[in-house]
Amino acid sequence: MASRNTAKKSLKLAPVLDLNEATALHERLLTLKGSPVEIDASAVERVGTLCAQVLMAGARSWEEDRLSFTFAKVSDAFVKTTQLIGVDIAPLMAKEI
Amino acid sequence: MDMNEIKEIFFQECEEQLAELESGLLKLNDGDRDPETVNAVFRAVHSIKGGAGAFGLDDLVSFAHVFETTLDCVRSNRLEPNQDVLKVMLKSADVLADLTNAARDGGSVDEARSRQLIKELEALANGELPQAAAAEPVAKSTPTAAPVPAVNEEGFQPVAFSFDDFEASEPPAIVPSTFEILFRPKSELYAKGNDATLLLRDLSRLGEMSIHCDMDELPALGSMNPEAAYFAWKISLKTDKGEEAIRSVFEFAEWDCELDVTLAGGDHAGAGEELPMQPVPFDLSLLDEEVPASTGAAEDDEQLAAQQREARDNAVSAAATASNVLQMAQTARASAESTKCVAPASAAQAAAQQAASAATPTIRVDLDRVDRLINLVGELVINQAMLSQSVIENDTNGTSSINMGLEELQQLTREIQDSVMAIRAQPVKPVFQRMSRIVREIADMTGKSVRLVTEGENTEVDKTVIDKLAGPLTHMIRNAVDHGLETPEKRVAAGKNPEGTVRLTAKHRSGRIVIELADDGAGINREKVRQKAIDNDLIAADANLSDEEIDNLIFHAGFSTADKISDISGRGVGMDVVKRSIQALGGRINISSKPGQGSVFTMSLPLTLAVLDGMVVTVANQTLVVPLTAIVETLQPEASAIHSFGASQRLISIRNSFCPLVDVGRILNFRAVQANPVEGVALLVESEGGGQRALMVDAIQGQRQVVIKSLEANYTHVPGIAAATILGDGRVALILDVDAIVAASRGQSLKPEMSLAAAG
Repeated sequence: MASRNTAKKSLKLAPVLDLNEATALHERLLTLKGSPVEIDASAVERVGTLCAQVLMAGARSWEEDRLSFTFAKVSDAFVKTTQLIGVDIAPLMAKEI
Repeated sequence: MDMNEIKEIFFQECEEQLAELESGLLKLNDGDRDPETVNAVFRAVHSIKGGAGAFGLDDLVSFAHVFETTLDCVRSNRLEPNQDVLKVMLKSADVLADLTNAARDGGSVDEARSRQLIKELEALANGELPQAAAAEPVAKSTPTAAPVPAVNEEGFQPVAFSFDDFEASEPPAIVPSTFEILFRPKSELYAKGNDATLLLRDLSRLGEMSIHCDMDELPALGSMNPEAAYFAWKISLKTDKGEEAIRSVFEFAEWDCELDVTLAGGDHAGAGEELPMQPVPFDLSLLDEEVPASTGAAEDDEQLAAQQREARDNAVSAAATASNVLQMAQTARASAESTKCVAPASAAQAAAQQAASAATPTIRVDLDRVDRLINLVGELVINQAMLSQSVIENDTNGTSSINMGLEELQQLTREIQDSVMAIRAQPVKPVFQRMSRIVREIADMTGKSVRLVTEGENTEVDKTVIDKLAGPLTHMIRNAVDHGLETPEKRVAAGKNPEGTVRLTAKHRSGRIVIELADDGAGINREKVRQKAIDNDLIAADANLSDEEIDNLIFHAGFSTADKISDISGRGVGMDVVKRSIQALGGRINISSKPGQGSVFTMSLPLTLAVLDGMVVTVANQTLVVPLTAIVETLQPEASAIHSFGASQRLISIRNSFCPLVDVGRILNFRAVQANPVEGVALLVESEGGGQRALMVDAIQGQRQVVIKSLEANYTHVPGIAAATILGDGRVALILDVDAIVAASRGQSLKPEMSLAAAG
């Protein structure tokens, strides 16, 4: 995943990523399009499938744009839920330099 | 939409499901063995249980659950739905209806009865015969496999139900086996507030789970709908709980997702898959805020926690355990031959479900709105009549185009009126269905064997008429079973089928609905009725009465032939009340009886209470409307036929019999002195109690359909007047309350409460 020199933007996820949050998250991601994104999932307590879908769609779009899309910090709940629903976020974890 | 509204919708749906349930059971009772009928019955109970679970109506859930379990045995052909079985089921349907009503309106249910039925249902599910179950209630010594909801405050005791027996006979449930699950949620699943994450979490608790998330359908970020479903899962689950446990996880989502559960052959499953499977960790306690974090990571602890959680908040999934035993058994058996057997079956089921729901698209409308519309159309009809009249009055040279337009308008308004009335028209089916329950209960109480046959249930009549029909009909059905039908022994002795038949039919006859209630009992015991009437001073001991007149005596107030007063009938408030309520609806009731063959009650009712066929008459320069249903005939009195009787009474002789002459103008205080009968017209009317009276009016203007306007709602109650209407010239005409007028002519003064307002 190559990252360009554009400024890295960060996105902090809400604690509860449920049905209500999915649309909001979708909009926020769309506004960040074109820049590398670092996602902070450290505060996440609950992840719904819809938000996971939005995040994965984002990851793909960013990959197509050849921009970086990484999870900087993740909470335990976030990791466990993504594991539970079979979404592999390991390749998206930020590798500390 | 707040919770109460949703709950109200649930109860409305419950009513429909209960009707469906009852009609299905009755079909089964008649020998229908169509699997779709059984399925419909099962679905009805299942839906009620599902909804009740969502609202936390525990006693409803627990009863529905036991009922459903037994129905499932029928569905799986493990229980033959014979008459005895169906008797228990029909009673259960009644209790389910009671529980639903209690949940809606408060109040209590007969706990002993529901407990007894739960026992009987369980006995049936365990393959015992109902008779045996009644003799010795099943002792529940087996440990409960399924958790039950807690005892609620009202003291209704849910009875624990054991599935051990089933599982023992189904080996696949015990050996841990690997299931392949395909789970593809639809967008509706999320829209209803459910989440695949939660379902997968519950699933992972069942055993060792590997999962692959299929993201092929996920579109680009820009073109995606954040609230649509894109993910699908392929899951491999190794569990010892069997397929039923897996399906129960998806119970509330089953219509909102594609689900395919197959038993993988042997232990190669999961290992040799071409798709990369991600193993799911066991310790998911963190994700579940409702359960205290389980410290032990051991499998046993986790399962225990899962079970506890299930026990607490998922009573319904426990119920599904029972309902799915069959499915599981079938799947297990079939999977030996083919692993892909569930999908077509469930697809077919879903298709059938869809076909059933697509049959009649309907909307629910508030009754008030319909009434407002009907009222407006009534105004329109009046307005149209006024318009035509003023055109006719002012138009001297008769412009044909105006007249033609008016005629078309008249036709249109009539059509609109008919269509609007059709909105209020409802089939009599719900009332008839309620009657079958009454028959069952009375039959039980009296120890008689009765079969209710209904015909013409789809005959439509105005909703108000339907609502007011239930009372009298209930009374008559009770009478028919209690008095009409003989005991089985007597029937056998008389060479009849020990099972009595009560036939309830509805049909349309010349703009009215005719409801007939026939029994094949002993018929009216005329000698007994006559003697009773003499004892009660209703008739003179030497009165010479025709058979018909004797039969009609049972409509007299304070008349009862029952030797002892029972719960069911015999309190002397019977047929007279029935007759009065039928008359209040603008109807008539007749009886015909043949000794040894039974009696037939025939009721004829108007199709609607919003319009009325009336005879427009003039009395002392006032225009009155007399309901046509009350009028038997009209005649022009001759001086020779009028006879004075007492101080102010007069009689008219009609075909060699005397009939009291009632001066309407005098009774309504339209004039101070008695009118000369020879100058007017006499309307022969049938009054309460069967007697005839001649109402004296000045002239007959004609016969017309009038729109009824309630006097009570618009003005105030007027004694002797049932309602009002507006005539074509804009004047208000009063509709006569014939019974009140007749009663007043007997010397009683017109009292407000005596009127039987015919209009709503």
